[in-house]
Amino acid sequence: MDRSSILLRAFLLIPVTYVVCLIGMPIAYNLLASVQEVNLGNIGTLNRPFVGLDNFQAALQDPVFRQVVRNSAVFVFVNVLFQVGIGTIVAASFAGDFPGSATLRGLLLAAWILPALVVGTIWKWMFASQNGVVNFLLVKLGIASGPVHWLSDPGLSMSALNIAHVWFGMPFSMILIAAALASVPNELYEAAAIDGAGPLRRFRYITIPAIAPTLLAVACLVTIASLRAFDVVLALTRGGPVNSTNVLPLLSYDTSFQEFDFGRGAAIGTFAFVIVIAVALIYVRSVRTEQVS
Amino acid sequence: MRHRTTDFVSTAVALAGVLLYLFPIYWMISSGFKTQAEIFADPPTFFPAAATLESFRYVIHRENIARYLFNSVIIAAPVMILTVTLSAMGAYAMNRLHSRMVDIGLVVVLILQVFPEALLATPVFIIFKSLNLLNTFTAVVLAASARAVAFGMIVLRPMFRQVPIELEEASAVDGCTRMQTFFRIVLPLMRVPLIVVAAITFAQAYGQFVYPLALLNKQEMQPGTVGIFGFIGAEIADWHRVMAFATIFVAPILLLFLLLQRQIVTGLTSGALK
Repeated sequence: MDRSSILLRAFLLIPVTYVVCLIGMPIAYNLLASVQEVNLGNIGTLNRPFVGLDNFQAALQDPVFRQVVRNSAVFVFVNVLFQVGIGTIVAASFAGDFPGSATLRGLLLAAWILPALVVGTIWKWMFASQNGVVNFLLVKLGIASGPVHWLSDPGLSMSALNIAHVWFGMPFSMILIAAALASVPNELYEAAAIDGAGPLRRFRYITIPAIAPTLLAVACLVTIASLRAFDVVLALTRGGPVNSTNVLPLLSYDTSFQEFDFGRGAAIGTFAFVIVIAVALIYVRSVRTEQVS
Repeated sequence: MRHRTTDFVSTAVALAGVLLYLFPIYWMISSGFKTQAEIFADPPTFFPAAATLESFRYVIHRENIARYLFNSVIIAAPVMILTVTLSAMGAYAMNRLHSRMVDIGLVVVLILQVFPEALLATPVFIIFKSLNLLNTFTAVVLAASARAVAFGMIVLRPMFRQVPIELEEASAVDGCTRMQTFFRIVLPLMRVPLIVVAAITFAQAYGQFVYPLALLNKQEMQPGTVGIFGFIGAEIADWHRVMAFATIFVAPILLLFLLLQRQIVTGLTSGALK
């Protein structure tokens, strides 16, 4: 092997090893910790009592865990639906190539570039029952008759969280969809127009099938990003009231760092990892199919 | 003529839509300029009636915002440098190496970068605890840079494909080693994508919250995110001060974004889907 290809191999292996050590190893370690009893006393040593599936059993029997899994499912579903749906509509409305369209579209990403914790903080202030600007507008527009308790009513808190998170993530989804829209060949539209297809039919029968692989990839990315949501939740609602907005990462974190039951925190993490991996595999496959086509 | 009118209307409508969408950012900034009385005024005022720097002064002098910002930069700068260096190496090798290792490496990186930080916090905390690295910036930098390196490689790989191989061959004919070619030919050509990755990585690490929260328990080491979080602990917060703090905190990120908006959009679309 010549020196140049040794160098290339090193160039590949160093960063990949770095990522494997700092993410792959913690994942492996997490699997180990989830079948052990890990508390503050024995945390420094590897030699901890093996407890089999006790941590998983404890997690599964906890009604809060079941509620959190439901919450996560609702949160992911709503985010995928609205981020992809609104993202497609917004991307399509910017596709007209009017002056400044690219710049204006790009400006929306200002929401996405903000630290997630700040996004949660801003929306907490906007959703405040008293003096919150959201309630002011709702009353002013005649939609609500008095203050709506967005963050303290367990029936509304998930909607508030969804609104904040869709606002945060939609611009990124939209930018990816916009790139796919731009790559649909114009001849297809022209041919369809000659055949007498109106704008809606062209959108339905040309645009949607052409960008379908991208929409699937974006749906996977939104799922992954929503399963990651922690900062926004903690800032906006801290998972409350009464766990109505608690999601898997927050439950795992609280179990480890508030209750100091690291074994059970790890077990909840392992449970979520399985879901994340499944979505990641669909994403990798969808990206590869798109590359081929 | 008619065409121009529709163009103008489209632009005006789009501008209005974008401003409406970004209203929360405006609300953050304008709230920071309000007095306490105006914050709790009913109905709320859309422009601060008596704009004041009082809250900004308060967070600068009383909340020690400078220290929080300094800590955020102390975390973000090394993450950015590590990420740009390692991901440039990886992305280059992925395009020049013809081996199954490239495919395996790419899939490994794609899969590993999806794992949520808040879930990794538990094992990372246990590992760093046994390595005696808790309460060090090193721990936070290592933890936060891992995903950034993966992200950097994913974004840069399709970009590095654009480096013409002829240039590298010419450089080899001139007697440059692969290493010299990388530094003198490839990196200068790739400076825009590298700046994009540096900017996004900096922004993300600057806003990093989970790892400092889990791995640092000394208040004097905490970055701005943890500072803001401590500020909104109570049900009713001093929103004018919180928003002043948030405005100062995100100002560098928003400026960076405005400067590089076009390049960031290109970089993101190439990375996530190719």
